Amino acid sequence: MTMPATPTLSPSAVPVRQRPSPAMLVNGIIVVLLGLYLVWSGMAAGNYTLRVLSIAGIYALLAIGYQFIFGHAGALALSQGTFMGVGAYASGILAVNYGVPFDLALPISVGLPVLLALIVAAPVLRLETHYFALATLIISQVVLLIAIEWISFTGGANGIGGVPPIRIFSVTIPPGWPLLATVWGFVALGALLAWQIARGRLGQAWACVRTAPSAAAAIGLDASRLRLTAFLLSAAYAGFAGSLYVHALRVISPDVLSFPIIVSCLTIVVVGSRLRPVGALLGALLIILLPEWFRDLRDYYLLAYGCILLLVVVIAPAGLLGTLELLAGQLLPASPSPAPSPRPLEPLAVRGAAVKTSEAAAAPVLDVSRLCCSFGGVRAVDDVSLRVMAGEALGLIGPNGSGKTTLVNLVSGFYVPDSGRIALCGENITGRSSYRIARAGVARTFQTVALVEDMTALDNVSIARDVNRIGLGAALRVGLRDPVQTRAREEAAFLLEQMGAADAMMRPAGSLPYGVRRRVEIARALAVQPTLMLLDEPAAGLNETEQSDLAQRLRALLKQGTALLVIEHNMSFLAPLVDRMACLDAGRLIAEGTPQHVKSDARVLEAYLGTASELVPA
Amino acid sequence: MNTVLDIEQIEVRYGGVTALRDVSLKVAPGQAVALLGANGAGKSTLLKTVIGLMRARTGDVRFDGRSIATLPPQRRARLGVGYCPEGRRTFPGLQVRENLMVACWEGRAERERRVEEMFSLFPALRQKADHLAWQLSGGQQQMLAIGRSLMGRPRLLLLDEPSLGLSPVLTDEVIGRIPAIKQTGTAILLAEQNAAKALAVCDHAYVLQTGKVVGAGPAGELARSADVRKAFLGG
Amino acid sequence: MLALQLLFNAIALGAAYALVALGFVLILNATSAVNFAQGDLVMVGGFGALAFGSLLGLPGIVLLVPLLVVMIGIGFLLAFVAYFPVRKRPPDTVFITTIAAGIIMSNGANAIFGPEPRATPSLVSSGDWQIGGLVVSYQSAAVIIVAAALIVGLHLLFTRTQIGRRLRATAQDRDVAASIGIPVNLMVAATFAVGAALAGAAGLLLSRNFFVSPTDGANYMLKAYIAVTLGGWGSIPGAVIGALIIAAFEVAFPALPALIPALAPYAEAFTQVWSTVVLYVLILLILWQRPQGLFGEAVRARP
Repeated sequence: MTMPATPTLSPSAVPVRQRPSPAMLVNGIIVVLLGLYLVWSGMAAGNYTLRVLSIAGIYALLAIGYQFIFGHAGALALSQGTFMGVGAYASGILAVNYGVPFDLALPISVGLPVLLALIVAAPVLRLETHYFALATLIISQVVLLIAIEWISFTGGANGIGGVPPIRIFSVTIPPGWPLLATVWGFVALGALLAWQIARGRLGQAWACVRTAPSAAAAIGLDASRLRLTAFLLSAAYAGFAGSLYVHALRVISPDVLSFPIIVSCLTIVVVGSRLRPVGALLGALLIILLPEWFRDLRDYYLLAYGCILLLVVVIAPAGLLGTLELLAGQLLPASPSPAPSPRPLEPLAVRGAAVKTSEAAAAPVLDVSRLCCSFGGVRAVDDVSLRVMAGEALGLIGPNGSGKTTLVNLVSGFYVPDSGRIALCGENITGRSSYRIARAGVARTFQTVALVEDMTALDNVSIARDVNRIGLGAALRVGLRDPVQTRAREEAAFLLEQMGAADAMMRPAGSLPYGVRRRVEIARALAVQPTLMLLDEPAAGLNETEQSDLAQRLRALLKQGTALLVIEHNMSFLAPLVDRMACLDAGRLIAEGTPQHVKSDARVLEAYLGTASELVPA
Repeated sequence: MNTVLDIEQIEVRYGGVTALRDVSLKVAPGQAVALLGANGAGKSTLLKTVIGLMRARTGDVRFDGRSIATLPPQRRARLGVGYCPEGRRTFPGLQVRENLMVACWEGRAERERRVEEMFSLFPALRQKADHLAWQLSGGQQQMLAIGRSLMGRPRLLLLDEPSLGLSPVLTDEVIGRIPAIKQTGTAILLAEQNAAKALAVCDHAYVLQTGKVVGAGPAGELARSADVRKAFLGG
Repeated sequence: MLALQLLFNAIALGAAYALVALGFVLILNATSAVNFAQGDLVMVGGFGALAFGSLLGLPGIVLLVPLLVVMIGIGFLLAFVAYFPVRKRPPDTVFITTIAAGIIMSNGANAIFGPEPRATPSLVSSGDWQIGGLVVSYQSAAVIIVAAALIVGLHLLFTRTQIGRRLRATAQDRDVAASIGIPVNLMVAATFAVGAALAGAAGLLLSRNFFVSPTDGANYMLKAYIAVTLGGWGSIPGAVIGALIIAAFEVAFPALPALIPALAPYAEAFTQVWSTVVLYVLILLILWQRPQGLFGEAVRARP
């Protein structure tokens, strides 16, 4: 199979002005419409409406923050209202009791919720969904009860009145349109920052951790750290929103900590969009204005609230904005953005040296000795020792359930062995977490392809480059390109080209045919610049042309000195590719040697076929 | 040919991969048919498509001459298809007796009679009748799973890798019950990796390789041909 | 004698909580999803008892029958509105749909009955037995008897009947259950019905002494959630034990100064509110130290 590998853009050409994607267009149109609506309201509406619209803006900020932990990190946190409440209490009490104005109090009113998030993060963030939701709900209940009971400090159930209006740089913001403009000004800033974060490498890393967690670990993404970043960002936005809220309402009240706040926030995000800031703006305006529109229903308007939430979850799982984006995508022709020009990878200084010395010293790249791993009473891997040298391919075969994938999971740190030792280029890596093993130079693919479906093939690969350089800094360069991302994309383009997937680069991974997805996954593994690559059934689901193409590309890798460990059932693919073969049966290594030798080994035949003699005519 | 199961040119996809393509297969009443092939050849997918846990994109599945391809699994089971899944999957929190009872749709007396029948087919289960299923050993669980799939008196039993994870002795014991099941008039479609043992108890066999039928014939003939070996270990 | 009185009170409270937690864990096992509306079902049960009471003028124990029938209907409705449309999506989607269902219930109750706390009719009649120093109110005794009868009835349903076995089989392995002929969707819907019926019964039992108001749901839901976390995620006896532990804590905490003289000077701190705070903080510590719950999860053994 031949794939044209010519990039569509010559590097020296002036970049063509690119048509915005349908999704971008939808977001842009909504922003313009919302902006016009707010300006028109600011000029024409009465004070009551202006106040409601200002509150909606504050909810929008809260919801944008909530998108980080709920949308991007995918964790159902029920503590967002609490962070907002803590910010509100901090700013309100500082203003009433100590005369500190809104702006000077910000470090504390934003810092305190972030600090609270940091404190509870350690016990809470590693919990599974159902416990995480419970724990965050309990925390919010505890904070609410404390706020009600600690009357001397918080004013108890009655709260504290007389909170001054917002003051920024000694200018007091009066209610009415100035408040509206101030609040929505902050919303615009907050949304812009969130948009920058979401489309940058941090946003992509979250997408990876959320939708393909094992793949994320296999390319070296530190999931707990990424989740913490999202949680802290959420708390910071909530604290800021709370501080605006208390100065807009002019009273402190425990209502700000109560369950309805988090329900509104959740509703805004689910109805608007889980990921896009623009969706949070849309959702906030809808959800906060809804009761005003339904005022004729009186007591029943909150019922409508629940019904709308239910309907949107069932009918439009992507939210209103997501649904509009999907519609636009179907109506308008997609114009894929131009692919970046490929740039070859520079050898990694540290690991490059390791390969050379290991070649010189003939130390194996992978040295597994006496590895054991049991699940319950079953010995999945039983006293297995294996070596793979640089530039060598070892094939791993064995019947169903013989422990092959378990072995790969042990080497890549997804499981911890009960005993035995795993060394990479002479360095002991036993018991290290999977993302650290990936960073040490072990890459792997999975039995079922694990890619982020909505992300382009290019970014599925580029995110695996320089995983230790993913942070918030890039988001602050508004209007500029993140140089790390630009470079990572160029290198990813090179890798995809090498794997013969250049044509697919700019298309979402989910839309690609299976064979191409397999190759994208291998390109992503290569982006780690591995010294050892673990391939779990790479030929599964490929047709014969694709198989021989893959074999050819894997041979090229071997020439570059990468060591390969390949699990495969397809012998006609495996046998010509590998130098040596090893066969596992019931967790034990029963044969090792050249493919020809292993395939005719009596014990291997018995493991596969039952009694060998009956089936093999002499 | 009079068939209890007639699979016609089905294609099944699973997560973007074509797991079965253009597969046709027939089972006659009371016949035991082996389905051989390496891991990933599509044996389990084929059985799941017959019971209805997976759907064919094209082609037809006929049971007793009637198309069942669009029916949900519970309807197929009630029509007389028994399914014993890969990895046994007994109901861990139900007692052995309950695991059997739950699969019977007759009145109390008939239910008790069939439970007794299973206990005589698998005597090891009788002693464990009041134990929870998860407390059984692998071999006993396998027998329980087979017993459960026979409680509805199926005319076709789908048996998925009964030897998986069992010792050779236990494998012999489990597979050794197949002739007895056949004698009651139940046709069997047995998916197995362990070709020699499967061929020894079956009348007919099909060989699957990467989702396609690559060989078929009377069990005795296949046991002597090189096709089977090739399907597992390449040329 | 005080200890004995406290124990009796704790059992009366815990028995009612156990019904809520049982409904929660049954639905959890059948769907692997958290039913966030479980507490609101308790509230609906309370108001249902109130409505039947004023309509029929009969004692609570008789009202239980029509109430259970209505709650079973509501349970089916909940399954078809909040579970089946999203059953192929990730489990946390059910979280959100049941939150929405809860909002609908609590605001519906608010619209019909108003926000004030109301008391339901007593189960039999008011009054009590004095046994030594022990005060056994008819109400509390009836609560224990009704709850125990329901729990025993539930146990018999699940262990002695074909439908009970099929409900359990469906919860344990839905695909295999379907493959032996069990109509699994009907079984899942029936589980919601049973869960709702239990919650409704708890609403009737609790709302005499603790009143019922439209916003009560969150509180009961949290208690059920915590009970199931304490007792082992997915464990049915664990849910009952967890509920009893919570009730015992709630009853014992305010009484600690009376039980332990050394604490008497700080009696002011031992209020109902602080008992809740201390309980919650303890749960957080438990989750921190044992992320799998106090007694571990009732893991489904699948070889």
